[in-house]
Amino acid sequence: METETIPSRTTRVDAYGLSHAGKVRSVNEDHFAIMTLQKAVQLRATNLQDTTLLDRLRKPQVDIFVVADGVGGGVGGKIASGIAVKAVVEYLAEAVGCVQDFNVDRENAFLENLSQAVERGHHRLKEMFQTQGGPATTVTMVTLVWPRAYVIHVGDSRGYSLRRGALKQFTRDQTMGDYLVDIGAVTEQHAEKAGLYNVLASAVGGDFVPSVGVVDLSDGDALMLCTDGLTKHVSDERIAEILRSQTAEAAVHSLIDAALDGGGTDNVTVVVAKAE
Amino acid sequence: MIQKKVCMVGVFATGKTSLVHRFVHSLFSAKYHSTVGVKIDRKQVQVGTEQVNLLLWDIEGRTPEQEIPESYLKGAHAVLYVADGTRRETFEQLFSLRDHVRSAAGDVPSIVALNKYDLKGQWVVSADDGRKLIGGGFHMLTTSAKTGEGVEDAFRWLATATLTAPPTPTVQPQVRHGN
Repeated sequence: METETIPSRTTRVDAYGLSHAGKVRSVNEDHFAIMTLQKAVQLRATNLQDTTLLDRLRKPQVDIFVVADGVGGGVGGKIASGIAVKAVVEYLAEAVGCVQDFNVDRENAFLENLSQAVERGHHRLKEMFQTQGGPATTVTMVTLVWPRAYVIHVGDSRGYSLRRGALKQFTRDQTMGDYLVDIGAVTEQHAEKAGLYNVLASAVGGDFVPSVGVVDLSDGDALMLCTDGLTKHVSDERIAEILRSQTAEAAVHSLIDAALDGGGTDNVTVVVAKAE
Repeated sequence: MIQKKVCMVGVFATGKTSLVHRFVHSLFSAKYHSTVGVKIDRKQVQVGTEQVNLLLWDIEGRTPEQEIPESYLKGAHAVLYVADGTRRETFEQLFSLRDHVRSAAGDVPSIVALNKYDLKGQWVVSADDGRKLIGGGFHMLTTSAKTGEGVEDAFRWLATATLTAPPTPTVQPQVRHGN
């Protein structure tokens, strides 16, 4: 009996994440998750001549990366970021069919599903802490359906891409400082002095204004999501250098070490994904 | 509800993000942020009896020599070309940009926003240039993300055009300049 091995055309994504409380804070208010949704028929061998069958059977692999940085003092922030990440995981597990039955024509509905995953965490927090000013959290989530990365972003955690060695931030910080400087209400110096860059203008569990985006990747590109415990201590140049030269796991360890060496004044969480 | 994908395209720093920001949030930021990838915003507009949900794909600006990835343009129902009246190169690349967009998205309704009209005293694009553009089959409006002038009209024109083909401009294309 003749058989033929079917080559896999799936792009492998090497992903790794780590969270550290830092050197000053006793509680780690950050959470992260890395998920892969798989619902596919794998045809391992056949003598069928018509291999178009494979295209109908193949579902795209969906990789999901999320980081969250809770705010609220005490253990409130930790609870908030945990609830938000858990809600994302739950929602996407329930909606796995919607996420994988994806095509260009249904892209808008797909994006809507991703937004709702983050929104579920927002509603949970609102229900749990019904007072204004309760615990809240940032959420930065990337859903990778190769080669397209769908981004849902709330708050001041960050997402970066590395292409041909150049690091680019694809999220924009949602802080009061950024907002007021943008509309010309205050100067950057005033915002800095008044601590406005430390106040979230949008948060899960607070004023919820998610930002949605798309970044198309190429082979060899890297993605990095992080909380601000990294970027307040490690320069873009250093981040790029580490991402360029190391595997996902090694890069995450190096970045966390760099943040701790730089002072480690905040919780720090890093997720790196590299397409191979 | 009807959903329509509108792609914003043009050379970097022509004001694509500012136009979306003005249209969606009624705000203007003087601080320049370059877009990485695509930022997607939504806004509902009423066109006659229809409620249309515009999905605004604000695609990162490129240099005139760089092409926009076709993957971003696929599935577009309309295109808003953005040029900066103070920078001639942003205007001159409109024809080649249109060829590229058509090859990726087909001949969908489109309009040129000749932006930064608030800087009309510094404009290097003339009324003759505008006529050439219109002669070349473009619809065009002058806009200012800073003052809001023409912004609502441009997006509403596109929303209407996606529902009615071939579209008829509800606002007559015109070129004004400060000279």
